[in-house]
Amino acid sequence: MRTHARGFWGAAAAAVVLLPLMAGCGNDDDGDDGGAGADEGGGTLTIYSGREEDLIGPLFEDFSEETGIEVEVRYGDSADLALLIDEEGDNSPADVFISQSPGAVGFLAEQGRLAEIDESVLEQVAEGDAAEDGTWVGLSGRVRTLVYNTDLVDPATLPDSVLDLTDEQYAGQVALAPTNASFQDFVTVLRVQLGEDEAQAWLDGMAAGDPPTFDGNTAIVEAVGRGEVPMGLVNHYYAARALAEDPDLPVANHFFPEGDYGSTLLVTAGAIIEGTDDADAAAQLLDFLLSEEAQTYFSQETFEYPLASGVEPPEGVPPFDEVPKTRVDLSELGGGLAATTEMIDASGLTR
Amino acid sequence: MASPGRGPAGRPPALLAVTGAAVGVAFTAPLLYLAWRTATGEEDLAALYTSPATLEPLRSSLVLATATALSAAVVGTGLAWLTTRTDLPLRRLWATLAALPLVFPSFVGALALTAALAPGGLLEGPLGLVGAEPRRPEGFWGAWLVLTLFTTPYVLLPVSARLAALPASLEESARLLGRRPAAVFRTVVLPQIRGAVAAGALLVFLYALSDFGVVVILRYDTLTRAIYTNRLLDRDRSVALGLLLAVLAVAVVAAERAAARRRVVEEGTRTRAGLQVPLGRWRWPALAAVAGWVVVALGGPLASLSLWAWRGLTGRGSVLARDRDGLADLAEPALNTAGIGVVTAVVAVAVLLPLAYLSVRYRARTGVLANGLVASGFALPGVVVALAVVFWTSQLPASWGLYQSYVMLVFAYVVHLGAQSLRATQVAVAAVPRRLDESARMLGAGRARRFATVDLPLMAPGLAAGGGLVLLSTMKELPITLLTAPIGFRTLTTRIWADVEAAFLAEAALGSIVLVALSGVLTWVLVVRRADRLA
Repeated sequence: MRTHARGFWGAAAAAVVLLPLMAGCGNDDDGDDGGAGADEGGGTLTIYSGREEDLIGPLFEDFSEETGIEVEVRYGDSADLALLIDEEGDNSPADVFISQSPGAVGFLAEQGRLAEIDESVLEQVAEGDAAEDGTWVGLSGRVRTLVYNTDLVDPATLPDSVLDLTDEQYAGQVALAPTNASFQDFVTVLRVQLGEDEAQAWLDGMAAGDPPTFDGNTAIVEAVGRGEVPMGLVNHYYAARALAEDPDLPVANHFFPEGDYGSTLLVTAGAIIEGTDDADAAAQLLDFLLSEEAQTYFSQETFEYPLASGVEPPEGVPPFDEVPKTRVDLSELGGGLAATTEMIDASGLTR
Repeated sequence: MASPGRGPAGRPPALLAVTGAAVGVAFTAPLLYLAWRTATGEEDLAALYTSPATLEPLRSSLVLATATALSAAVVGTGLAWLTTRTDLPLRRLWATLAALPLVFPSFVGALALTAALAPGGLLEGPLGLVGAEPRRPEGFWGAWLVLTLFTTPYVLLPVSARLAALPASLEESARLLGRRPAAVFRTVVLPQIRGAVAAGALLVFLYALSDFGVVVILRYDTLTRAIYTNRLLDRDRSVALGLLLAVLAVAVVAAERAAARRRVVEEGTRTRAGLQVPLGRWRWPALAAVAGWVVVALGGPLASLSLWAWRGLTGRGSVLARDRDGLADLAEPALNTAGIGVVTAVVAVAVLLPLAYLSVRYRARTGVLANGLVASGFALPGVVVALAVVFWTSQLPASWGLYQSYVMLVFAYVVHLGAQSLRATQVAVAAVPRRLDESARMLGAGRARRFATVDLPLMAPGLAAGGGLVLLSTMKELPITLLTAPIGFRTLTTRIWADVEAAFLAEAALGSIVLVALSGVLTWVLVVRRADRLA
């Protein structure tokens, strides 16, 4: 048996040498599979998008038509795509990264994978809606809000501050998504603005009521809609989208007043990958996404708040000027997320 | 090394050994990637692996995986026996339907099932009829319930295949001697299908270890959840935990295999049409049980999905009204899904057959290790496997054009999902009697001819079952598809995911229903009908 084993490992060694060769040959046979790696040359801009195709795909098509620059897009989860870009390193096919949240771009900035964006692009958004070091720029905004079931909740009983949700009367009534990136960003804002102790106290207070928790905003709005939970902390546009599908759904947003952390404005972000050979086209794309046309699209099609070009706010959600929104320096959201999740874990909300 | 009842195992042919070894090496991709990342990371391993923050989720993972494996083994075996060997009404329909819950991607399946079971959900009425309170499943019990509902097909399919290949004579004799069906099952059938049950249960165990969709949605703090939530925030820790999971999987599977080597190997094939055990007065209760299971596991999620789809199609802001192509838009993803699923299933079975021969026919000791390596790919979350394959492919010359090609995609799928076909394939190989092969050899048939005319027909149901599992799993796979597929390659699952993320539940529901229907057709044509016909 021993000799057999040795024979087997000899074969294994041979296989290590042969396998890549076999794989190489295999590929020659079906060489025309669209060539994902055919990035060099040809003026094709490769986008890795953490925003869904339904929401942003049409904009990429418009950009392509207007500029003649071909684009190819890989859609995925923002965090996974950030890891992918980092794993690909200098060989990454990606030229541009579009992220759901500042967290994933912050990670890539820390890893030195992002190029500095031209000032002419950055200056189109308000200060604080772009990274201080110019590694990413905000593209559209979402406001944190409290979604509630209109059959179960009298809006007059809702608090003026998100911090008051720890009150006895709301115990166990407010659904949370403690592992969701937007919730984490919101807690980061609390942590940075209020300090760790107060932020932790709020989390502990929420956890004390043993609130129902979900993995994401969609699930919360769905649960509120069918009356399983009376209310939940989400981003503002989920209720708008749910109502677009079913106008009879008994859900509405309760916006906290301006200046309250409950209406923090969070942004989606665009970034250019360090070492791209299409830097100009990449900057052109970000410029396009901040143009009046694209900002109008965000406003009308995805129910989000425009950040540039003085565009009208979305229908079905309060006008941007009227809606209370709390502006914080989002550049702080990139790093330090680990501290935030540690606090959320410590509160017991994720258990 | 003598093995019971078969004489000394022969030395494997060189080509088989080389191929088998190559396959084994390919499956080390995730493990070596994690080892490399851990070695070059800054995590203090001694502290990490002894910290309660690691051990507690680890214990939860093991408890959940073990409990799920046990319950899925019991239910899956029962369903398999009822749908293959009894006079249960519409048994082949139930066999197909009962396999389908496997195809729900856990992110949408768990969402839909919890929505149905929760207060205000669609099952509130039916639950009320039997006096049960609607409750959103969560924590350990929720995760255990949902995972059992979705993973039972891992046991059902291989056990059905094994049952289809069993000789009816023993059961017949036992029954003629007056044994009741239950006694026949316990004393005659069970000993012969034990290997298939163990194989399926092990898959459930590994799946439960790897899954994060369900445990994240239902709030159960497992090791996978820690790997997932830390992947961006603390990558060194995430990777080190992944390594722990992979090593654990290798150890569990190697131990199971080592134990299996000591078991007497089942042999025997069916000689004529299968025996149908008359259930007698148990016929209708059995039907109710099978139907009840299908209603909860398949009907539950489908009910929520249908509601969402209906709401979206009829509402003012309907899918159709929103200037979209609606259903026609799903045609291309559906074709992609079926195509890549079938290709991956065939490749997985073909690639793992040599390993199955080595470990079963030649009882090569290294087969135990190879089994563990293959299993490790399945015990890891898809994201980890995808990043590992990205890492290794990036080391190859770009001129080969492998990066994010179909070759890379299928390779990543097979590394992640191949374990599913390995076990069924081994059961199939074990079911081919040595003496048939020997007779054929004496009659002068060459190795290739013996394989094609003797082994392959006998193994077909088992191979189809193994391939079927890979097929269904590939069709619902998400992270590997998103990260390693050629750019612009869309499957139904990637579309459903995008719709859920964007809160377009109606469209997600439509896509899911198409996915389930497509899986149903493919399972019927390629697995259930084939298993019946070829057996």
